Amino acid sequence: MIEVKQLNKIYSNGKFEVKALRDINVEVKEGEFVSIMGPSGSGKSTLMNILGCLDKTSSGLYKLDSVDISSLKDNSLADIRNKKIGFVFQSFNLLPKLSALDNVEIPMLYAGYSAKIRKQKALEALTKVGLEDRIHHKPNELSGGQRQRVAIARALVNTPAIILADEPTGNLDSRSGEEIMAIFQSLNNDGSTIVMVTHERDVALHTKRIITFKDGKIVSDENVDNQILVGGDNR
Amino acid sequence: MNLVESIKSAFRSVFSNKMRSFLTMLGIIIGISSVIMITSVGQGAQNSISKEFESFGSNLLQISLKSRQETGYSDYLREKDLEIIKKHPSIKYVSGLSYSSAKTKLKNPKETRNTQLLGVHPDYNLIAPIDIIYGRYITDNDNMSRGKVCVIDDALANKIFSYEDCLGEKISVVTWRGTSKLTVIGVYKNPNGILASAFADQMPSSVYLPVNTVQDLFGRNYYEQIFATLEDSSNASSTALEIVDMLHRSHRLEDTYYVQNSVDQLKQINKVLGLITAFISFVAAISLLVGGVGVMNIMLVTVTERTREIGIRKSLGAKNRDIKVQFLIESIILTFIGGTIGFILGYLGGYLVGLKMNITPSISTFMVILTISISCGIGILFGVYPASKAAKLDPIEALRYE
Repeated sequence: MIEVKQLNKIYSNGKFEVKALRDINVEVKEGEFVSIMGPSGSGKSTLMNILGCLDKTSSGLYKLDSVDISSLKDNSLADIRNKKIGFVFQSFNLLPKLSALDNVEIPMLYAGYSAKIRKQKALEALTKVGLEDRIHHKPNELSGGQRQRVAIARALVNTPAIILADEPTGNLDSRSGEEIMAIFQSLNNDGSTIVMVTHERDVALHTKRIITFKDGKIVSDENVDNQILVGGDNR
Repeated sequence: MNLVESIKSAFRSVFSNKMRSFLTMLGIIIGISSVIMITSVGQGAQNSISKEFESFGSNLLQISLKSRQETGYSDYLREKDLEIIKKHPSIKYVSGLSYSSAKTKLKNPKETRNTQLLGVHPDYNLIAPIDIIYGRYITDNDNMSRGKVCVIDDALANKIFSYEDCLGEKISVVTWRGTSKLTVIGVYKNPNGILASAFADQMPSSVYLPVNTVQDLFGRNYYEQIFATLEDSSNASSTALEIVDMLHRSHRLEDTYYVQNSVDQLKQINKVLGLITAFISFVAAISLLVGGVGVMNIMLVTVTERTREIGIRKSLGAKNRDIKVQFLIESIILTFIGGTIGFILGYLGGYLVGLKMNITPSISTFMVILTISISCGIGILFGVYPASKAAKLDPIEALRYE
């Protein structure tokens, strides 16, 4: 699903060069649930931006779903973001003036679906995250956990190849955080590939594999032996 | 993203900030409404002046001297010249015209009012018709008998006698040679044209007299002008030249007489009016420019405010073009709505001004289309820069924006 080889990312402002990522090699297979850990400045967010096609590599190879991303132009990258990637952010990043339903419809707007299909698919996605009775609520009428669920529905709606979550529980209390992890686990059980950045080991232990970053390098890559499963009702 | 969705979302965004959107539109509203008001009144004025000219007949020739100082008294226009002109086969009606301003005494209060004494032949009523409501027009008999008679308008009749049907009454006209009494033989309806109504009281009212009587009153025996109409207006220019030629030959002179035809005159007046309208519109259009800058300013603010939204949309798959189109449509909607409101206000304003000036304002379909296009054009012109700025935002930076 994801293939990263000898990837480097160098930020340069003319005088200084910052090597944010050095010779990264990672492979994520279909159906994996991976968390990326590391202190701030370790390069995990940079990697997420590159995996999410928001940023370009300085050198190296990045293949997503067998497509070489490194050589693509802006418009093609937008297309990949739209169809192959579902983002979940720490701060939800919903549009405040739109209802939950309208927010979930946005990726489909750019994919060019008709209004009828958009509504139908958005409803399906919101039902999947247990918000079918909140579709007309605006973000400020929803709790943090509910907002994040809208964001997950939005990430799901174009059936992406991979879901990228950047600290998805960072702004939530532990109970809401558990709810969100439950949804991720259930999605993963249904076959979704998920890569999640977190700095909390507790949260990371909900995933199946933990990659740890330090100073732009991968320092460890281990499978989780005792994955914490959030039981029962995954909503 | 398709256009319909973009337009919907742009409308939502414009209406979610009503006060700001309205203030932004204000410049466009003021600009468009003033341009529309001025051009509609200007066009209306042109139309009504054309109409006034048409009441004269578009086939009118005015024969006069090029310069009175440089022409010998014996070569002034007189009855024999009138006869010469009458002989031209293209000429239909001919009348001498001898005019002078005078004052008319009003009875109550004891004031005088400026009048224009127009000495005419009977044909003049066929050349520049007036609407006789009581009595009759000047006849050949009046001219031959040099009768002290006159035809006045209803407004003057009301001023002097307090009633209109004043046939047989006498009015006093004061000239530099003294006061004369004239018997009213006809009353006509004041045509209330644009010029007359615009200067209601200052405009001297026209009093028609036999041309010979005016000559007697002022001690002269020539016509200031000879008016003639043509059988057919298509050969106005050539007939004018021929008549000038005939007069020159008969007087054995050159470069003394000239003929003006009404078609050319109307063209000139319309040209001047058109220029005035265009100039004022141009000045008004400057406010459109200011309005456009206002739109650009607000769009730049909007782009900054919505940086995060732009980042979100880009992360969800919006292409640069999608973002650009979204903001461009917003600015077009602002100017389009502003232009439409401005158009309606301008039209109403033109209508009100028209009521006051007795003009029917006129707007062509072309003007409607032009206004709408200009409004949208301003939206595009001043929206492109903010929209491109929005489109070029880096998604990562934009997502981080607080």
